[in-house]
Amino acid sequence: MAFSIEHIQIAAYLGAGICVGIGAVTTGIGSGIIAGEGAYGIVKQPKANEQIFRTMLIGQAAAQTAGIFALVISMLLIYGRSDAPEGGWFKAAAYLAAGLAMGLGSVGPSLGAGYAGGQACKSVARMPKHGNAIMGNMLIGQALSQTSAIFALVVAFLLMYSVPNQPADISIGRIIVKSVALIAAGLSIGFGTLGPGTGIGYVAGKASDMMGRFPNEKPKIMRTMFLGAAVSESTAIYSLVVAFLLIFAL
Amino acid sequence: MNLTLAQGIVKASALLGAGLCMGMGALGPGIGEGFVAGKACEGIARSPENASLITRTMLVGQAVSESTGIYSLVIALLLIFST
Amino acid sequence: MTKKRSPILRIILIFFIVEVVLVFLSGNFSKQLEIGFEHGKFRIRHVETEYDLQEKITEEFQIDEYYKQHGETPEIYGSKKLYNSFKFLSKFGTVPFNPMGTFQLLRMLLIVDIMLLIMALFIRKTLARRPAKSQIIFELIYTSLEEFVSETLGEDKAYYTPYIVTLFLFIWVCNMVGMIPIPGFMEPTRNLNVPLGLGFMVVVVVHFSAIKFKGAWNHLQNYINPVKNPLFLLDIVGEISKIVSISFRLFGNILGGAIIILVVSSLVSFVVFPIGLNLFFGVFVGTIQAFVFTMLALTYIGVEIAE
Repeated sequence: MAFSIEHIQIAAYLGAGICVGIGAVTTGIGSGIIAGEGAYGIVKQPKANEQIFRTMLIGQAAAQTAGIFALVISMLLIYGRSDAPEGGWFKAAAYLAAGLAMGLGSVGPSLGAGYAGGQACKSVARMPKHGNAIMGNMLIGQALSQTSAIFALVVAFLLMYSVPNQPADISIGRIIVKSVALIAAGLSIGFGTLGPGTGIGYVAGKASDMMGRFPNEKPKIMRTMFLGAAVSESTAIYSLVVAFLLIFAL
Repeated sequence: MNLTLAQGIVKASALLGAGLCMGMGALGPGIGEGFVAGKACEGIARSPENASLITRTMLVGQAVSESTGIYSLVIALLLIFST
Repeated sequence: MTKKRSPILRIILIFFIVEVVLVFLSGNFSKQLEIGFEHGKFRIRHVETEYDLQEKITEEFQIDEYYKQHGETPEIYGSKKLYNSFKFLSKFGTVPFNPMGTFQLLRMLLIVDIMLLIMALFIRKTLARRPAKSQIIFELIYTSLEEFVSETLGEDKAYYTPYIVTLFLFIWVCNMVGMIPIPGFMEPTRNLNVPLGLGFMVVVVVHFSAIKFKGAWNHLQNYINPVKNPLFLLDIVGEISKIVSISFRLFGNILGGAIIILVVSSLVSFVVFPIGLNLFFGVFVGTIQAFVFTMLALTYIGVEIAE
């Protein structure tokens, strides 16, 4: 099969588009959830106006982290790649897979962080006195749910920068196997972060909600949140293991 | 190691299957375990005197709902290494 | 809560100030030289020399591969004499390998152990009735973990506390040691062998405690008797996946932080942003992952010996 430099460019541009296109969907949804809950909270508790507004803004900023990761990857795919033709099909597949990994990988965490921020806004509106504790808990929970987005980012970076060039004398079967393995690695970590990201967001949201209702139980709630979030993350870790195997062991 | 086109396509589809298997298989357990943990947070906040009982129930429930994730992992590893 | 928060905030502030001062002390901001966090660590590099990210990632994360390609070790990885004596030792094995990564790992583990020993001796020497600040921090760690242990396992089994505290302190120092801006310093937990060994030992301790409190035959029935436990095959796989998930969680987070710092610092080549990232991954993620690892180990023990 004849290979030209355009193949790498096609794969990279396609990857960039997929990445920021899919990644922006739930970033928008999550920020919208937070804004909606914040507006409703201000209606219910107009005295705590400033505090709810601050929680809303910080929560939205944290919920958009995964979207920003997707933006960074697509910028790198457009401007920061090396177009050496000796990269071959390996590089083309790796660029496409990087876009898929980060694009799909930012769906779940953004949704989860959005839910957590929304519950935190609601909780602050109910209990403005404990606003700072709730906001701290919300930030920690959102950071936990972004951990799986960080896994996706790591796999995308590894796909972009650690895949070797295609050797000169290689059979067509090997080319197909290796290229498909790279794309499968991107799909594995991309879909694999979807569930855990959403689930951890639910945990963080419930914890923020309960912290507003029962502020005396703060240490116990936070400990359960850490533990539950850590266990929910294990399937994302299995996906990471499979992605590492697909990149490096073949 | 040299592969012909047909062998390459067989192996490649096995690998694609492995990636999709682990990716999709991680979706359900992740959401489910998160739901368990969220409800456990709620339960501990409402009755903190039963904290250790609730934590244990949460971990056992999560371990059971994680079993489909472990099936996916096993199938993915089989697809990668035994074809 | 205010009492708890202030020493941690102070530690973060001290780290930040030390890093900024080191950056300003150790270089000029001329146009030939550039100061940044290469390899996730503080370094000065020439602007003109081309910066190949792919080679850097190989050098940083697959040292043995780098050694095989170039036939020499990068200079930053410590003394040649020490390495050569280590290489001589490796000839007793049957499999030929380039043990550069293992050498680096052992060196860092030794450094962490020495740091922990010095810390322990220092704290022991300065124990007083009116506690100093360092004593307060360590007492805080010990008492809060002891509380968790006696809550999870019961008051009569509080003798698990030393194991749990040791696990926490070791992983914590391992995660933080990469923040020290000396070239060649890396977190030992970034090498898969360390988390895998720790996770394996946790599972060994779990089963040892189960056998001790429930009896060997009772415990074994969970894994061989289909009447008592219909899902026994699943449980055997579950034990193995326990090791995988607990160790890859730690490994993935620390390695991810290192890769992100490396790539970002090569892209922006500016000082302040990588310092913030270094602080985030070193202090925040490192502490949370050490805590999560310890808590998971504790609850695994708790679930097994509960009945």
